[in-house]
Amino acid sequence: MTGTASTEWRLIDEVDTNRDPAEHMDADLNLLDGVANGLAPALRLYTWTMPTLSLGRFQPGTDVDTAACDRLGVRVVRRPTGGAALLHGADLTYCVVMPLPDGREGAVQHVYERIAGALIVGLRAVGVDAAIARNDGPPGPVCFAGQQGADLRVGDRKVCGSAQVRQRGVVLQHGSILLRRLEIDESDVTIAACHRDELRNATVTLEELGASTDPHDVAAALVAGFEQSLGLAFAPATLAAQGNTNIIGISTSASVSL
Amino acid sequence: MMEFPEGLKYSKEHEWVAVDGGRARVGITDYAQDALGDIVYVQLPAVGLAVAADATCAEVESTKSVSDIYAPASGTVVEVNDSLNDAPETLNQDPYGAGWIFTLELNDPSEVDALLDAAAYKALVESA
Repeated sequence: MTGTASTEWRLIDEVDTNRDPAEHMDADLNLLDGVANGLAPALRLYTWTMPTLSLGRFQPGTDVDTAACDRLGVRVVRRPTGGAALLHGADLTYCVVMPLPDGREGAVQHVYERIAGALIVGLRAVGVDAAIARNDGPPGPVCFAGQQGADLRVGDRKVCGSAQVRQRGVVLQHGSILLRRLEIDESDVTIAACHRDELRNATVTLEELGASTDPHDVAAALVAGFEQSLGLAFAPATLAAQGNTNIIGISTSASVSL
Repeated sequence: MMEFPEGLKYSKEHEWVAVDGGRARVGITDYAQDALGDIVYVQLPAVGLAVAADATCAEVESTKSVSDIYAPASGTVVEVNDSLNDAPETLNQDPYGAGWIFTLELNDPSEVDALLDAAAYKALVESA
């Protein structure tokens, strides 16, 4: 990341783009493929038009309460990244794709901290005083029930969960910023020792913090945060100019095989 | 203190290779395990899988980050370290010993000659 000062990144603003949940994962992997083939780094920002439970790359499908998902109309996708189950629908999701920095700069925790720094600057602009999370050790089945090095907290409550995948010299990190709460949460759609009250006490939303919950406002703040923190300039881009999708072992179906 | 055992070969992707005749045992280096952090899952290759040099052969998850492990030479996977299914943290604790990941039957043992020796790998890591 030492050479980021004059780097131009692609900005893919999809806050208002209506995509199927599985398409979101395909789109993120598509960006990874592009950067691996020499395209500029990218920041993609998006929302989810339907409640969707995303599972970590290696998370057992048995963690999902499929009957509850069917009953509540919750879609399920598998992320290419690590970590645990996360319920999308009232969040803003970011996806950063960039060449893996050389040497120690490329260590997992170092990359997390660099991106966290940009997110923290961005969130500050909407009045959210976030900090990098504590480390609770290996995650349990629900992302927002614990904190690891990638995550952000306000006080002791998690406001953003993030995860990575590294392939072919490229790192993809995406994460979810809690804007509001849905009527349901992960405790309704997972089979896990995760209770609603415990989860609510462990997390906080921008709405509860009195900040804007308009994803456009938050997205604009994050863009400015990346520019300021990492010394970047963004150029608007679309996925259409990206190239071929390259899906590696990830379900592209709307309902992932569990 | 980072370890760079003599007698092993190393890839630029931070795998080590221990050659024994036509076979090569493969793991990740001390530097790699330190950069990855606490490893919580290892996706082992299937025995019998034929791999090209530099192809993805396994995956590891550490601190919510999934990383590819590459084949340092072409060959066929003939053995995997099943104990990592229950104890993935072994990669952190003993990367050059009990944390080995898989063994390849090499297509061409001379491919390994192109890998780095301990001194060259140490220099690579220290220059980064």
